[in-house]
Amino acid sequence: MTSSVLTGTSTKTVQAFLDAFARHDVDAAMAVVDPRASVTVHPLDVHAQGADSLRTVLEDLLRGFPDLMISVSRVITTGDVVTALLRAEGTQAAGYAGAINTEKHLDIEQAWRFATGGGVITGVAVYWCQAQLYRRLAVKRYDEISIA
Amino acid sequence: MTQTSTGTTRTAEAAAAVVTEFFDRYRAHDVDGMTDLCSITAGFSYVPVEMWGKQRVLRGDGTVGTMGKPLWAGLIAAFPDLSNTVHTVTSNDDGDVVVQADIEGTQQGAWGLITPAGKHYSEPHLFIFHVGPDLLIDSITGYWNDAGISRQLGHNEVD
Repeated sequence: MTSSVLTGTSTKTVQAFLDAFARHDVDAAMAVVDPRASVTVHPLDVHAQGADSLRTVLEDLLRGFPDLMISVSRVITTGDVVTALLRAEGTQAAGYAGAINTEKHLDIEQAWRFATGGGVITGVAVYWCQAQLYRRLAVKRYDEISIA
Repeated sequence: MTQTSTGTTRTAEAAAAVVTEFFDRYRAHDVDGMTDLCSITAGFSYVPVEMWGKQRVLRGDGTVGTMGKPLWAGLIAAFPDLSNTVHTVTSNDDGDVVVQADIEGTQQGAWGLITPAGKHYSEPHLFIFHVGPDLLIDSITGYWNDAGISRQLGHNEVD
């Protein structure tokens, strides 16, 4: 059983990441991520080792949706794992995940599962539905994503 | 840790055991058994489930009885070899249980707008459960990438 002190640290670490991401401060978010963190973003087919890939995911999101708003509805701490349920909303302003910019508004419910240790994030696995994302961006076919 | 009136104690381990049993029963296609592990009013939300009509959007939200049970039974009918592999289970004494699992199956019947072509899918899922003090599941929320399933089944339309 993880001590409450450690659990509190895990939650604070992830909260610091989420707060920084919500204010579009990628450097501050990445400051609490272990450089060797494992990064999995299932809808983007990202399975990587190293924080740089997470930085790229965050920067791509903010480039594609400069007015991105992150609303965290729940933070669930289970030992040294912290899971955040959040909604990402924004207006497309650049190509994203192959979809050309059609200036559509996006709202996607997401789940981010963070593994923590030693006061940093050591792993992240991200879940959202790319079908919902493409539907909102007016993409018609998965094999022709760039044709809206 | 929560002590119930019947003397049962809800701990992180007990909550995780209930959810592990849930996935065992799911793997055995025992939908009634899965439902028996849930309270009668258990909430249910499969976040990626949405069907856009002309007038409204139907979503995968409701209760285990009204939405979960028919959905699980439909999945098993369309994918007779439906199975799951649980990778991680983490829990706390408040009854929260977070599960990473792959769900997989081979399509033999229609599933939504996807016609059966005998194709197999395997897709990572994240499930958030809450287990009440009575050791019954009172909430299930699921996240996954439905586009991944569609593409693996050969369905390239974004419905």
